[in-house]
Amino acid sequence: MPGFLSFHSLSQILINGLLFGTMYGIAAIGVSLIFGTMQIIFIAQGAMIVLAAYLTFWLFSLFFLDPFLSIFFIVPAFLLLGGGLYQVLFRKVAYAGKNPSLLIAFGFMIMLENLMSLLWTPNTRAIKTSYTAYGIEMFGLQVSFTRMVAFFLAILATIVVTFFLKKTLMGKAVRAASEDLGAATMIGIGTHWVNSTTFSIGIGLAGLAGVATAMTFPFDPYFGFIFSLKALIAVAFGGIGSVWGALVGGILLGVIESLGFYLLSGVWADGISYVVFLLVLMLKPEGLFSGFKRIA
Amino acid sequence: MKPKKMAVTTILAAVLFTGLPFVVDSESSYLVFFLFVTFINITVVQGWNLVGGYAGQVSLGQHAFFGLGAYITAITWLRGFGGYFDPLAMILSGLGAAILAIGVGIPLLSKLRGDYFALGTLGLGEILRVMFTQGGTLTGGSVGLLLPSGVYESMKPYYFVSLGLAAFATLAVYFVVKSHTGMALIATRDDEIAAETTGVDTLKYKVLAFSVGAFITGLGGSLQAYYLFHIHPAGFFSLKWALYPILMSLMGGAGTIFGPILGAFFLTGVFELVNIWLPEAHPIFSGGLIVAVMLFLPNGLIRLRLKRSFSKKGERKEVK
Repeated sequence: MPGFLSFHSLSQILINGLLFGTMYGIAAIGVSLIFGTMQIIFIAQGAMIVLAAYLTFWLFSLFFLDPFLSIFFIVPAFLLLGGGLYQVLFRKVAYAGKNPSLLIAFGFMIMLENLMSLLWTPNTRAIKTSYTAYGIEMFGLQVSFTRMVAFFLAILATIVVTFFLKKTLMGKAVRAASEDLGAATMIGIGTHWVNSTTFSIGIGLAGLAGVATAMTFPFDPYFGFIFSLKALIAVAFGGIGSVWGALVGGILLGVIESLGFYLLSGVWADGISYVVFLLVLMLKPEGLFSGFKRIA
Repeated sequence: MKPKKMAVTTILAAVLFTGLPFVVDSESSYLVFFLFVTFINITVVQGWNLVGGYAGQVSLGQHAFFGLGAYITAITWLRGFGGYFDPLAMILSGLGAAILAIGVGIPLLSKLRGDYFALGTLGLGEILRVMFTQGGTLTGGSVGLLLPSGVYESMKPYYFVSLGLAAFATLAVYFVVKSHTGMALIATRDDEIAAETTGVDTLKYKVLAFSVGAFITGLGGSLQAYYLFHIHPAGFFSLKWALYPILMSLMGGAGTIFGPILGAFFLTGVFELVNIWLPEAHPIFSGGLIVAVMLFLPNGLIRLRLKRSFSKKGERKEVK
């Protein structure tokens, strides 16, 4: 019974929440970036993450490729896939209001989820490597090795994305377009090109999150929808369009869930994150840390 | 459609559908079953059409109202307040859904950004599913509630109630849209800021449309509960009930009276066929269909004939 909460178990819960939350964080950065430039809620982000997780699983069980190595295949492939997705699915409706693109993303998600369930069966999968069970002892706390690596990958990815947005010409164009689309067009920024780039980055991050998920958690084809919802919750916490806000929002959500899971039973914990989500949407839709700058 | 032609079509359809169960054997006829399913779909489609098609607020949480309506019907029956085809229980189911819609709609719709509404309603459906799965003896947990199915006698009452609900939903949308409220809704959809500037209380009308839509959807859920006798969270809070209304409405033409009916007939037919021939591919197919419809037929089937397409910016034009 969770009547007594010692400092030790509290820190263990917080650490678990933090590590779990970074997964939501990377997913949320993608969603946040895509929303920032295109005003599209890309609800299929979670399904893309699960797709990457399945590909990792597939590479691991058929070609015995280590999940860490598969990052070098999956992330570039997903970067390309992201640009392609934009060109095929969203280019045509990019400026026809937001409902068509929202519904296309929704339809795409349903299609992808069920396609995966057909291809890989709806059973839950998990990758077992020689180091999956390996844990590190830090300050008397147990930290799983793979989750620790996933955490650092997430931080690294966030730094790379921030660097891209701040320092490169392409990144500056993306920021300009998300700040003021009309003005950006006027100074000669091709908006389809910018959208395509953001989609690439967003889906690339989904690829990374998918590999990390495959390494650390069991997953099934329908896990993606919940993942998308969690990513949206993280975006709502962090404020739409903010990269670090999304990461921090994801971590915050992870901690809330982890606490909820410990204090209440599992299914209720899920409900709590939705309730917090609804409350944030209702009361503070600009994000909990709205003092932050909009992008990066 | 011209008013005269519309009236003739409506009367013809009413006579045809009312007379049908007397001509064919309603217990064994596939046609009667098919029409029953279609009429329930028309009901929930019109519920979405009012808020999504006319008010332009995409609700992704209609399954919350459908499921809530079904559970209210089941719980009142099992607790002895309602009964089999109890009109009071059905109205109560609709009212419960409408009250929920008002409670959630006011905070979610008071922001100008429609995305918050779409996301919030999606979250709402998920919250309700968790709540009813965890509801203990009141909701029967994940197994759900079993109603006394011994009272089933004939398919006829189902057919007529579903026909009545579909007609009620369509008429309700028709009268709301023809009134002052409808003008305000369309103005809000086409340019919310401009509507606000000309003195339209957009929040009031959006919440009104949302709650009337929820009422209609709750009624649909109630009838489905009477039909299945087994109410469980996975089936009644299934995303299917959020997805189908959107799909059928868009396919036929959201923001018109007859478009969603056309869409419901067409897609119910397609889904029934796919269900028979390729049951496992069914959801892939419906997902792909949404994408295809939005890319190639963004105005819906009914507007093909009317030849009123998107204006340059992509807002929908009102079709009379």
